[in-house]
Amino acid sequence: MPSCDPVTLEIIRGAARAAQAEMEALLERTAMSAFIREKKDFYTALFDAEGRMAVGSDLPIFGDIVGPVAEHFPIETMREGDLYWYNDCYGSRGAVSHSNDQVFLAPAFHDGRRVGFVMGWAHFSDIGGLRPGSISPDATDHFQEGIIIPPSRLMRDGQTNDDLLRTFWRNSRFPTQSQGDTRALMAAVRLGEKRLSEIAARFGSETLSDAFTQLLTRTEATIRAELAAIFPVGTTRFADTIDTDGHGNGPFTLRLALTRTEDDRFIFDATETDDQAPGPVNLLMHPDVPGMALGLYVLQRHPGQVLNAGAPAAIDEVRLRDGSLLAPRAPAPLGLRGVTMMRLLAALHGLVAVARHGEAPAAHSAYVVIALRGLAGGKHFLLSDGIGVGYGARPFADGTDAVYFVAQENYPVEFMELSYPVRLRTYAINRDSGGAGRYRGGCGVVREFEVLADTSMLAVRIDSVVNPPWGVAGGLNGGSGRAVVNGGRQLAPLSDGNMLKKGDVFRIETGGGGGWGHPFDRSVEDVLADVQGGFVSEEAAARDYGVAVTDGVLDATRTQALRASRATAGLFHRREYRDAVA
Amino acid sequence: MPSRDLLVAVDIGGTFTDVTLQDAATGQAWTAKTPSTPRDPSEGFITGVTQALTEAGRRPAEVARVLHGTTVATNMILEGRTAPTALLTTRGFRHVLEIGRADLPRRDNLWAWVKPKRPVPPGLVFEAGGRIAADGSELEALDEADIRAAARAARQAGVAAMAVCFLHAFANPAHERRALAILAEEVPELARTASVDVLPVVREYERSMAAVLNAAVMPAISGYIARLEARLDEAGVVAPLLLMKSNGGVAGAAAIRRAPAQTALSGPAAGVVGARAVCAAAGVADLITVDIGGTSADICLIAKGEIGLTQHGRVGPWPLPLPMVDMVTIGAGGGSIALLSENGSMTVGPQSAGADPGPACYGRGGTAATVTDAHLVLGHLPARLLGGRMALNASLARQAVQRVADGLGLPVDDAARGILAIADNNMVGAIRVVSVERGHDPRDFTLVPFGGAGPLHGCALADLLGINRVLVPPSPGVLCAEGLLAADLKAEFSRTVAQALEGAVTARLDGAFTALEAEAAAWFAQEAVAAEDRSTRRVALMRYEEQGHELPITWPIDGDLTALGLEFAAAHRGLYGFDLPSVAVEIVTLRVEAAGALPTPAASLPRGGDAAGAVTGHQTIRLPTGPIEAPIIDRALLGPGARFAGPAIVTQLDATTLVAPGWQARMDASGALLLTR
Repeated sequence: MPSCDPVTLEIIRGAARAAQAEMEALLERTAMSAFIREKKDFYTALFDAEGRMAVGSDLPIFGDIVGPVAEHFPIETMREGDLYWYNDCYGSRGAVSHSNDQVFLAPAFHDGRRVGFVMGWAHFSDIGGLRPGSISPDATDHFQEGIIIPPSRLMRDGQTNDDLLRTFWRNSRFPTQSQGDTRALMAAVRLGEKRLSEIAARFGSETLSDAFTQLLTRTEATIRAELAAIFPVGTTRFADTIDTDGHGNGPFTLRLALTRTEDDRFIFDATETDDQAPGPVNLLMHPDVPGMALGLYVLQRHPGQVLNAGAPAAIDEVRLRDGSLLAPRAPAPLGLRGVTMMRLLAALHGLVAVARHGEAPAAHSAYVVIALRGLAGGKHFLLSDGIGVGYGARPFADGTDAVYFVAQENYPVEFMELSYPVRLRTYAINRDSGGAGRYRGGCGVVREFEVLADTSMLAVRIDSVVNPPWGVAGGLNGGSGRAVVNGGRQLAPLSDGNMLKKGDVFRIETGGGGGWGHPFDRSVEDVLADVQGGFVSEEAAARDYGVAVTDGVLDATRTQALRASRATAGLFHRREYRDAVA
Repeated sequence: MPSRDLLVAVDIGGTFTDVTLQDAATGQAWTAKTPSTPRDPSEGFITGVTQALTEAGRRPAEVARVLHGTTVATNMILEGRTAPTALLTTRGFRHVLEIGRADLPRRDNLWAWVKPKRPVPPGLVFEAGGRIAADGSELEALDEADIRAAARAARQAGVAAMAVCFLHAFANPAHERRALAILAEEVPELARTASVDVLPVVREYERSMAAVLNAAVMPAISGYIARLEARLDEAGVVAPLLLMKSNGGVAGAAAIRRAPAQTALSGPAAGVVGARAVCAAAGVADLITVDIGGTSADICLIAKGEIGLTQHGRVGPWPLPLPMVDMVTIGAGGGSIALLSENGSMTVGPQSAGADPGPACYGRGGTAATVTDAHLVLGHLPARLLGGRMALNASLARQAVQRVADGLGLPVDDAARGILAIADNNMVGAIRVVSVERGHDPRDFTLVPFGGAGPLHGCALADLLGINRVLVPPSPGVLCAEGLLAADLKAEFSRTVAQALEGAVTARLDGAFTALEAEAAAWFAQEAVAAEDRSTRRVALMRYEEQGHELPITWPIDGDLTALGLEFAAAHRGLYGFDLPSVAVEIVTLRVEAAGALPTPAASLPRGGDAAGAVTGHQTIRLPTGPIEAPIIDRALLGPGARFAGPAIVTQLDATTLVAPGWQARMDASGALLLTR
């Protein structure tokens, strides 16, 4: 007989969500780096007493967070007032997957009994390494990507190990930011710890424990049922490719296979994925990630369920191959793993598309990041700008335009011009980057910077240039991104060391999402509005949608003629209709 | 010349228009209730005013001022019914609204979220050449031909309003001013707004949205105000019409016509101002208000009598960075529906039965179990509401809750308690977030529940929060009227300065403040505020270098910047638990808060006797420990000092208060009901 009834369960879920909201409010208000406070690259989670994530953020990239700490500091030796910290990718088997992400973790107690853990997670803008910002396409070795903090005890009985903090700050090119962000994250975790203890005090440790267990089992059961509804017995396969590792290597292909056995076990197999890359696009994928990602996808039908460690439990086995792009061997560089991560998420939707004959979202572009560093007014600056892309169209709606990732915001133009030696000349929708379809893929953006610093060095990260995001169910592929200086000089999409001088103008165009459904099935009114709104050009409207518009005015007769003959669609589209994209 | 002592407060709800008439000298009050007239709300407005005057036997000429809170702008924005509007923006940035902050909300599912349609479609956004730099210098002259072309194209497209927002206008408004002048020549018939006139602060998307929303509601609000003024005129009321703003103050009709977006978040503000006034009369300065209506609850924390302002307000999905009363709204109210999921878990809200069909017990066809139904099942509500005019159907409530109980495998009483516990818990979570954001421990505060459903939840929320004092206002269901009557004229004047504290020159900042105070003086003159009623306050919005949020710090009288820095550090410590002594401090924005005091009407005091004489009956309350008989007490019969212990049900025209076991109630001389434990 469970000790937590459905009412108490909902109350505990609500209280856990409120604790997260409090932690996030504190973090957002006190953190210092723009990456955290403007872009909001931070997350929180609550865990049960054994360290299983019970209430997390809706982000599909978390692995087992507590395990790596428990390996070094047995859980039963932990005490009230402890605080743990790491960013060690290889030391956590990919629980964090690039070193800029700092994990702070505290056990929470009630009446001397451990009742759970609280996590605060945030991306720090610079932790040392090869280049300002710590992540560089030039890296060839993980040790070039900033200081590595193995699972460490930052606080014991409420006493801080200040030397550890000072060592960390000393390794940052921007120690004040690092200090401010550390303090903010520590304060947020302390607050969460207090709240979790209070929840335990209110309902009792047993009830809380049972509530967390129920949240985990419910999530697992929901996801299993959804996966069983999507995937037939047998093996579903999908493969897709990233362009390059920025060092002249590639393409690299991810080959995924999801098997549902006769007895409804799910086995995820990525062993046929290509070998690891010399450049930093390797994704040290925690085995929990496929379950988290598919879980987030299927939970869209269940808004009351939380994404937690029940999701990975819905996949019975995850098979990876050491030395592959998804399970690289140390010290392969990892900094740009976002490129591979984003393609992996789309590829998981590709599995759904194959199983459901197109009833799945089309692919999205990988988010784009640039880093501009240099000296201005005698001060070193680092502008890390995460730039939105287009997401895939869905069987029920257009893809989302100009989004980076969950919960992450852009830098306002006015904020950038006040804070960095740049002037923005345009920030707009990247026309025609959204894949054509009955539902249009989301569009990427154009951001054009004029450099005001005397000299600076630019790093660029754009994927899906050679292999644009696929369309599905008759939808066309999305557009690609590119980076250009002064209207002519094309930069390699994954490159660092691009020197710029004062007055140079660099333009970043980001890719869009694939379309869903045949473009001729999109209403003429919607296409016309897209043309008038600058999302679709008149040429593309005629070519892809069969809608004739001249100077913003619809030509109904020509439209009818254009739409009279339509090509037969295939399941996927990348430059042409095809049954598989890679 | 008749004496002009009458104040009129008009609150237009979805179903009824409530008018309160008060004699400022004696405090005597009259109320009128008349059906709202959604097609032309001014009709119900004037009917109510006339009715109240007749009731009081007073003449229209005796009215000194008419106060009104309107949700016309809010509803238009929420329902997407704003006027067709164009936006003029800096060349290269026509998609400023479409891109926004790329803010796919944190709690939404990435794959399910659909971007909401902007209030201005991208086809109606026009670009103009010309550029101001971040420091306010002009980089490129304004291209006036672009503006004229845009004006013509906008007219061609049939818009009714036009907004202008150029980059860095907060640092130098010259281009926006010029553009506005050109639009006045080219399209005089259109409503027009420049972003700097709404709020000159940094961040172009938020400021553009504020300008757009302001322009988009302007035609309707202008027409609405004109109709109100005409009707008042016809009725012989010559008093000024003042409207409630989001900041908790009121402003004259002329000011609202220019900046109608200022009313967009005003709905819940009046209640908060009313709560503060009621608490001040009872000697309570630290309070947390919970305004529980049919679909939502608004929560606000007031420390030391001061209503905090925020510029992070939202209307639906849109940011509206205008100073508004700092509160949070959650989807939990009397009409919130209890839903069971496929795997047997239960949620309460945000879906609501609303006013129509309403809770099952209203007998209007609703079958879903709501919070109100749960109260009725547990005996928290009397059989009739609104002074007996509205009967509640207990068996319908029971049937609805029974269905939930069956799904959960629980007895019906337990299911009802579960529905309330979940709703209470959601509110407690929101109260905690408000508290941490403002750096306070809720236990140091008095809980003030109001709204139709608030006083049913007061004791339960206080129990959960560890709060020992609950204050139920005299008329918890119509506190908006109290707020309107208690509000002062208020306006803020701000300028982004973005300047390091170290090396700041007092004289320069002083100059900026003086300029803002000149704007305030002009506003005072326009609102005809007498010299002795004027007050201004200088506030600096400060942060540590590279933080993203500012704290408002009162400017030291002598402008001592060292003292200012220390004050900021202390505030940061108090709010967040730490300060950063080695980090530079920045002054981001200067703000002058101007208030024109309006005379506070005298309060009307309770005139009843002791509690024993106020008992009108008994009713069974179903506690977890078993059923218990509780007295039903008519609040109107309670006099100052009357005391009784929970459990008890206190009835009055506009709300029902549940005094839980373990709580003591006392009628305060001010008319507030104080509950302690």
